[in-house]
Amino acid sequence: MSIINFLKNCVEKYPTKLALVDGKKSLTFRELYQEVQNFSSSIAVFNKKNIISLCSENSAFFIIAYLGIINSGKMVHLLQPEISENNLLNQLRTSDSEAIVCSNIVKESLVKHTSLKIPVLEFNELLSRPNLGMMTYKTNELAYLIYTSGTTAEPKGVVISHSMIDFTTKNIVNVLGYSNSDVDILPLPLYHSFGLGCFHTSLFVGSTLVLLKNANNLEYVLESLKKHHATTLAAIPATLTKFLKFDRKILDDHFSNIRLIITNSTSIPKNTIQNFKQILKNGHLATYYGLTEASRSTFMIFDKTDGREESVGKAALGVQIKIVKESQGNSQAGEIWIKGNNVIKKYWNNTEADKNIVDDWLRTGDIGYFDEEGYLFLTGRNDDIVNIGGEKVAPNEIEEIVKQLPGIEDVAAFGIDHEIFGQVVKLNVVKSKDSNLDKSKILNHCIKNLEKFKIPAKIDFVESIPKTDYGKVKRFMLK
Amino acid sequence: MDAKNAIKDIFFQVFPNLAEKDFSWDKEQKDYANWDSFAQLNLITFAEAKFNIVLSLEESISIKSANDLLQCIQAHLK
Repeated sequence: MSIINFLKNCVEKYPTKLALVDGKKSLTFRELYQEVQNFSSSIAVFNKKNIISLCSENSAFFIIAYLGIINSGKMVHLLQPEISENNLLNQLRTSDSEAIVCSNIVKESLVKHTSLKIPVLEFNELLSRPNLGMMTYKTNELAYLIYTSGTTAEPKGVVISHSMIDFTTKNIVNVLGYSNSDVDILPLPLYHSFGLGCFHTSLFVGSTLVLLKNANNLEYVLESLKKHHATTLAAIPATLTKFLKFDRKILDDHFSNIRLIITNSTSIPKNTIQNFKQILKNGHLATYYGLTEASRSTFMIFDKTDGREESVGKAALGVQIKIVKESQGNSQAGEIWIKGNNVIKKYWNNTEADKNIVDDWLRTGDIGYFDEEGYLFLTGRNDDIVNIGGEKVAPNEIEEIVKQLPGIEDVAAFGIDHEIFGQVVKLNVVKSKDSNLDKSKILNHCIKNLEKFKIPAKIDFVESIPKTDYGKVKRFMLK
Repeated sequence: MDAKNAIKDIFFQVFPNLAEKDFSWDKEQKDYANWDSFAQLNLITFAEAKFNIVLSLEESISIKSANDLLQCIQAHLK
């Protein structure tokens, strides 16, 4: 079923029910559908290609544009608002998008990229165009395209179809019990699969989605829980850990109506899980394991399974997971392979990356093992990707940028553990003889050329970088 | 460069779209459009590199304005 049918079902069942709240703007399901149709009509001029890029912070406009593009039979290419110019140009080249639709804030920064060859249009510019009335559109099996760093330096395009969304959303609803009586607070970016999956779920069951720009202002998130009589919250583990700084009575009070907090699997501190088990007197803390390429492959509801706080749960219904060991050692751990209707069939125009999919099994690059009751535990990755609060970063990309600086003889980037983000990037730098380079100069260069989550959090000046005979950095020796 | 100017400099590096007129020592995290947890990490990293200090997790989390960062740095420099 297409996600436009999710919306149409809600319009039929609950036309006047509140679908979406974004600050002072709120829309019923009927109003949302009307806005979506208007948007589809406004982009009818783009009829040469099948892809339109969307780049915006969280807003009702994001949702209208996202659904509007899909409703018009096109595929949405999701762009992160703070994308670097290099990454932006690469994605536009490989996605073959026809235009970029964006918020006014994002437009200001996008138009600075003078090498952009396609139109950049702000939401209101589009919506102010004359309405062409009811139109018919061709159907498209594919819903959206998103780029992920994955296991190589070059971001890979991942295409998500409507049937994958349908399968995953129904699994989320069945396991986590979402219903039309829920009020869902969402402070996660919609341009990532975690936030977008939460939105699909709200749309599927007909609950009310309260969209927040982000979770930076924790007081505001707490106020929103109360003000909207929220029943669910989606948040990354770092946000949950930060909540624990509040007085316990405040947390008990604000979370008293919450039946579910859904988080994702990026290293949730045990202490955070244990605290939220107590705070949620009438609810559960849950997590999942998945990749953009294989969304929500497992689910874990913590308070029903004491003692397995480090597990990401059991395989979702209809999803197969196997552990593939390279050697016959004593360890139970091996690479996690996933197969199911939530898994992509191939990457977007990337035959090299397609080698990670073997007979419909996706090789995740993650290492893990099952316990005797079928609970999955993650133990690491078999590659060098750094996972910073869910953002995956290839070390090579950072090394290439740092190497541009004069006075650098050699450099290695790698992940180190971090209490809040799970991992952050550390740099070991070998300076050239007589170089006066300092850490601040390296950071200044990085912030001008990399997205902010890729900026190294620690820098050490060292004598040498350990390497193999083939010149590859032995990152395991640096950690 | 004194600590105050250095910290102001760091804010303009981490928030490149921040205009001079919009900078204030008391302006809080919630009033910045882009001050998310990654920007917070960048502010701490830049300050640690500039002043050759290490901030604890508690200190890092408690910083919610330019003034908070200044006070934190000054406490380390004493």
